[in-house]
Amino acid sequence: MSLYLAGCFAEKQEAVQAINQFKANGYGPDDLTVFSDEPIEFKRGVLDRPSHMSLAVVSGAVIFFLAVVGFVYYTQHAYRVVTGGMPIFSFWPTGVVFYEITMLGAVLTTTGWFIWESGLLRRDKSIPVPLIEPEVICLRVRCTPEKLASAQDLLEKAGAKNVVKLVRKAA
Amino acid sequence: MLPPVIPYHQVRDDLWRPLAGVSRRYVLTLSFLAAVSLWGLVAWGYQIHEGIGVAGIRRPVFWGLYLVDFVFWIGISHAGTLISAILRLTDANWRKPVTRAAEAITAFALMIGGMFPLIHLGRVWLFYWLFPYPNSRLLWPNFRSPLMWDVTAISTYLTGSLIFLYLPMIPDVAQLAEHATGWRLRLYKLMALGWSGSDREWHALERAMKLMAGIILAVAVSVHSVVAWDFSMAIAPMWHSTIFAPYFVVGAIFSGLAGLIIALNIIRKTMHLEDYLTPHHFGNLAKLLLLMSLLWLYFTFAEHLTIWYGNEPKEMNVFGARVSGRFSPEFWTMVVVNFVIPFILLGIRKLRSITTATIASVGILIGMWLERYLIIVPTLSLPRLAAASGRYSPSWVEVSITVATFSAMAALYLVFSKLFPIVSVWEFEPHEMEEE
Repeated sequence: MSLYLAGCFAEKQEAVQAINQFKANGYGPDDLTVFSDEPIEFKRGVLDRPSHMSLAVVSGAVIFFLAVVGFVYYTQHAYRVVTGGMPIFSFWPTGVVFYEITMLGAVLTTTGWFIWESGLLRRDKSIPVPLIEPEVICLRVRCTPEKLASAQDLLEKAGAKNVVKLVRKAA
Repeated sequence: MLPPVIPYHQVRDDLWRPLAGVSRRYVLTLSFLAAVSLWGLVAWGYQIHEGIGVAGIRRPVFWGLYLVDFVFWIGISHAGTLISAILRLTDANWRKPVTRAAEAITAFALMIGGMFPLIHLGRVWLFYWLFPYPNSRLLWPNFRSPLMWDVTAISTYLTGSLIFLYLPMIPDVAQLAEHATGWRLRLYKLMALGWSGSDREWHALERAMKLMAGIILAVAVSVHSVVAWDFSMAIAPMWHSTIFAPYFVVGAIFSGLAGLIIALNIIRKTMHLEDYLTPHHFGNLAKLLLLMSLLWLYFTFAEHLTIWYGNEPKEMNVFGARVSGRFSPEFWTMVVVNFVIPFILLGIRKLRSITTATIASVGILIGMWLERYLIIVPTLSLPRLAAASGRYSPSWVEVSITVATFSAMAALYLVFSKLFPIVSVWEFEPHEMEEE
């Protein structure tokens, strides 16, 4: 069973040092989570969170584009009218509709992907979250019971204040 | 000398203070605005009951104040999303206290503007006939109609703008949820989606906001282009112009900025946010406004010069009515308030202040409303077929609905500013003042 420890840092550099030490001791990015009340920028390689959001957004836009082209084509042909030889489905004059729905696809995919990637709705509610004070960076570490003492030591050596063991919430 | 650094706790307290309690003045103002808005709804109800004939629109002027208001409010909506998106993409640090106030304007202006196609419909209860669903009436939805373009463009823009407003509010409502009780607690918790402030969440939010800024920028430009194409696709005098789309986009940003400056000044005064919305912010917005005023003049001049030089009789009928005929008072008022006054008040550095920027902005809003009136009414009054020409005067129903939209906008804004911090707390870093 996993345990959780949290330590708070007043300086970003201390938090970076702690993350690097944990990584050197075999902890992966999934074991380490930084909490703060404002976004913290780390240098590349410290605690990278790879993202496929851009790719997902482009894919979402393409899917919506194909869907709307198909929909308009189907609808225009479903209600046939006499057009005097003009095409029933004409691509370019419908371009605005295609463009807007494509962008709607991009907007909705961005939102959906943000919710997915941030883990907001799929987070395990029993995993404890440390209370964050303003202007303080908290590092939460997931470890096994055997590594608890060494993890606490690593946090304290890096300069963490108030190192606490977080208790899992009842499901 | 550098301005003092505001500690984080004070930032939070200052920005959360307006959310607590409701003053007598607030209740009175909101009640008045709600009453005027309600009067607008009554007028609309009367129009629905009696028919569209109670409005002043008659052949040949079948687009009157409703279309003027539609274009005006869609233009105002460019205040937030477009300005905020540009400033986010360019990482302009001074934008931070301004963005939420601007994004809220967009959302509410779009809600109001988006209602006008419905208000303008003769039989509004049949609006769903526009939707392309299988039916037994053999309706043939024409996707090539600019009306259909409007529907898709405004729906996409409204969806995007609401999300663009909502996403950066999540960290703030999560913090508010920790201190709220009762229905506010439930509202904030629901909106926070369980935000905990982890690096995963921050990274995802920052990526999403960057992407959304790019997307929304493209959508915003397209929306006002589509509104312009509603006109320029018609072979009507002074409408059939290739520069109408950029002309409308520039006008929209221009009026949007003016609306934003007025809103920010009211917020600053009523919520005592003088330390957050500083002369520095208004100075930057005023410079942008001046730039847009010059661009507006350039487009207006280019548009009128080509018509005048071409000397096509039907076009010149409308041109003459605008510049020296029966619409000339409106035309020259527009030029004065959109260019002359802003140029003097904002162009001369000594005169540029929060007050003068607000005065110029009020004038610009009037001027841009007149501009839309001058685009729509003279052309329809003087169509290509001279025998079909006519006059237009708005009825009390149209005037009531127009006035009600302004009060509805103010009421929505008042309610919003009581529920959420009008300046983003998490984005307003304590060292911000120092950097200025």
